[in-house]
Amino acid sequence: MDLFLALGLIALKVAFLIAALLLLPLPLTWLERKIAGHMQQRMGPMRVGWHGLLQPLADGVKLLAKEDHIPTDADRLLFKLAPILALAPPFVVFVAIPFGESVSVLGTEITLYASNMNVALLFILAVIGIEVYGVIFGGWAANSKYAVLGSLRTCAQMISYEIPMGFAVIGVVMLAQSMSLLDIVRAQADVWNIVYQPIGFFVFFVAGLAEAQRIPFDLAEAEGDLGAGFHTEYSGIRFAFFMVSEYAIMLLISVLSVVLFFGGWNGVLIPLPPLLWFLIKVAFFVYLFIWLRFTLPRYRYDQLMAIGWKVLLPLSLANIIVTGVAFI
Amino acid sequence: MSRVVDRGGRWIGWAYFADLGKALALTLSYMFSRSVTMQYPDKEKWLPYPRYRGHHFLKRDDEGEIKCVACELCARICPCYCIEVVPYEDEKGNRRPAKFEIDMSRCLFCGLCEDACPADAIALGQQYEFSSFSSRDLVVGRDDLLAKPGKAATGGAVVAAQLRTVEQDVRVEASEHQGYNWWRNIRRR
Repeated sequence: MDLFLALGLIALKVAFLIAALLLLPLPLTWLERKIAGHMQQRMGPMRVGWHGLLQPLADGVKLLAKEDHIPTDADRLLFKLAPILALAPPFVVFVAIPFGESVSVLGTEITLYASNMNVALLFILAVIGIEVYGVIFGGWAANSKYAVLGSLRTCAQMISYEIPMGFAVIGVVMLAQSMSLLDIVRAQADVWNIVYQPIGFFVFFVAGLAEAQRIPFDLAEAEGDLGAGFHTEYSGIRFAFFMVSEYAIMLLISVLSVVLFFGGWNGVLIPLPPLLWFLIKVAFFVYLFIWLRFTLPRYRYDQLMAIGWKVLLPLSLANIIVTGVAFI
Repeated sequence: MSRVVDRGGRWIGWAYFADLGKALALTLSYMFSRSVTMQYPDKEKWLPYPRYRGHHFLKRDDEGEIKCVACELCARICPCYCIEVVPYEDEKGNRRPAKFEIDMSRCLFCGLCEDACPADAIALGQQYEFSSFSSRDLVVGRDDLLAKPGKAATGGAVVAAQLRTVEQDVRVEASEHQGYNWWRNIRRR
């Protein structure tokens, strides 16, 4: 009986996570377009629903109804596989992320995480690395110059930014003496990691921007010079898959920033429910992502590589050394 | 000394991304400023200035008689030959147009017909919403031209308006004539 209850709970949590991650891009696209509009003194979508609230739904219906076009010379198998490969890892990763301590509902303790892995951080970094395959396959399979160029850029970008990202979180792991995200958050109950690890956070956030392929590091899609980058040839629902994956990664980086550096669900000063604190912090980071997008221009490709290898990598290494020395 | 401080200040600013902070502050301030969007078909409509060159109209004189003397000067000067005039003699012995057709799909709204007219009979008015599903509907005859709205009295303002869709006919109706200055929301330095 207990086993069934536990299995049912896990199934419920996974279903909830999948539903949330599939539905969240809808309000996020609306938010992004609204914020973009207002930052450019426009209004953004206004006509579908109240202040354009139903615009993402209309867009979704449009994408579903569109022709699902596959170029003649495309590698059909890879072309169909790529959006799924891009979509799955961000969903898998959320299994390892805790959203709070347990709450008791109807007498049973329900933990606000699908699984408490002791190597959660490693798991996340490893699984999110798979996402790059979707991008590379998509660009390669489309058999288009723009797409190949876009996926080439992404490939180099993802690989070179995963290294500083991985190094940046080592400082956090050293402080918490654990790779479990739950333990990392518990270790931040008094003082958030951002106090001890400002450089680590900086490196992590910049690398996260690059991983999520957001401006100023969105060279993979660079509308100006590559058409639409690796998903130039995609249309309809497959294109939507790429978009959903992009938003899921943006969410993931926001959630990771909060969990690793901003104390997770630990609040300060104002006593609010832990989950609310968590959501507020994540919302701030999502806003920061959008805000940055409409503030900064795009980096040139050599600048991107230089920032990754010549600035972020030494900074993250120095951060590890300083943290280690301070520990001793 | 001050130069050293300056250099030091610049270095500190560089280290703490002062320029990035400034940029973020700027975009945030824009985010909370008024938007300049004119919500044209749904809520607002722009009224043209008196000198705006919109849809042609034919004028009547004080007796209500059409002013046009069918001299065909407008048809001659028209660079895209979109005006066709056929004269006739009415019962008072005056030369008047029996047929006065303008092909709006060819017109380029240069206003030369207005300049050429010796009788001050034709002019370009304020109407700018006359799109159509068929190019045949864009050939406008004499009586329709007489009924078109004339030059705008005021103009350059944005007034509240409403989108009306009545079978094939899509119109944006403005209720008032005094609006607000559209430029007031535009931030200039």
